[in-house]
Amino acid sequence: MEAALSGPPEWLERMVLFAIPPAAREGVAGDLWETYQNPGQYAVEALQTVPFVVWSQIRRNLNLPALILQSALIFLCFGGPVTLMALPLLMLREAYRPVTRPSPRRAIREAILLSCGAMVLLLLIMSVHSPFHVRAGVDSFTWLSLFLAALFLSPFLCLFRAGLIMQGDRSRTLTAGGLPKDALAGAYHNFQQRAFCSNLLESMALVFAAACGFFFAWDALLVALFIIVALCLMLDSVPRFSQACDFTSLRARYQQELARQGQLRRFLHWLWFAPVLVALHDRLTLGESIAALLNCVAAAILCFLVAALNREHGGRVQEQIGLLDRMRETSPPDRA
Amino acid sequence: MESLGQFEQIVLTAILALDDNAYGVTIHAKVEELSHPKKIARGAVYATLDRMEDKALISSWLSEPTRERGGRSRRHYRLEKSGEKALKESARTAQRLIETITRSLGGLAWKPR
Repeated sequence: MEAALSGPPEWLERMVLFAIPPAAREGVAGDLWETYQNPGQYAVEALQTVPFVVWSQIRRNLNLPALILQSALIFLCFGGPVTLMALPLLMLREAYRPVTRPSPRRAIREAILLSCGAMVLLLLIMSVHSPFHVRAGVDSFTWLSLFLAALFLSPFLCLFRAGLIMQGDRSRTLTAGGLPKDALAGAYHNFQQRAFCSNLLESMALVFAAACGFFFAWDALLVALFIIVALCLMLDSVPRFSQACDFTSLRARYQQELARQGQLRRFLHWLWFAPVLVALHDRLTLGESIAALLNCVAAAILCFLVAALNREHGGRVQEQIGLLDRMRETSPPDRA
Repeated sequence: MESLGQFEQIVLTAILALDDNAYGVTIHAKVEELSHPKKIARGAVYATLDRMEDKALISSWLSEPTRERGGRSRRHYRLEKSGEKALKESARTAQRLIETITRSLGGLAWKPR
């Protein structure tokens, strides 16, 4: 292929880069640059290519069980029309999932924004309904405790995000650069062992939670879902050791397993919080408007926590896949 | 064993033919050459490459960034053992088809172009 002498205008390239899903950006944007002739040709080529790439990334990243669970929760809380509007957005979000973990600054900013939002909402409600009057079961003491809780929410959420970031840094298993094949095989083997153990433990925890749910009169559908997922997880948790293969194939298998386990974890995070969200929803339908609003805030904070967990974990998985993408095979160190 | 669609066969053949130089631009050019006179959208090639990678028929990795690509890397592709096997099976089926058609259309009077 002949080298392109000049590239596309910066503004056009930025637009195209924005439209290409992050996971495919490096390869696709580079290919478009390499075949650049003029801005028109570049734009047409990008317009013809991007929809295929977006669709392909949706197909690749779509976590159907998680999507069904999220849609069911949205349907439960907001009804059919909102679910129908949210579905394409949820699917598009899958295509544009970032390939790195969110930066600590962004993570902390999100936490502060959410807690500020919660406080503003509380202040608004308090200004409408005076806290010094007992109203429909919400007395002044409750108002005060809620306001203090909102005040402490910001440092709590920041600490939560910081904890996730630190845990992500600690659990980093791969480093950039080269690796001998045996070392890669060892890393893959360790990863499979860890995944096996955590899946087995989580499946047992799910069975235990389902048993508790049975006694605490959870929704029968939720109890059944917990048991089915636990069984699937037990069946799935048998480690699949790789047969003899070269470095490139081993790397591809490691990436596929990383992505698979990442998807599984994403679904499980939502599943663990589903009973609490369902309980909050049940309280929404019972209570009066103020209690309903407070429950909405609680649900939003809960969703934030799950999303933060997923963003950190998903980002870490994508980061490892990216590291593997650029990893070269090196010869093993000489032991003599 | 994984059975391949026609477009998948073409893309796999292109990767096989390009050997170490198989990445988006070259694969697309080869696919267009193989499916001449049909025009093929590059996006369709990417989507097929992704699908075949998920089926573990091919594997990919990123090269070092280069200047002629605006400082970006190439995503290289390579056939995996299962991909080779599936492609060989498709070639055998195609061979049987050619033989049957040739026989039915009267020996050497017809030749696939």
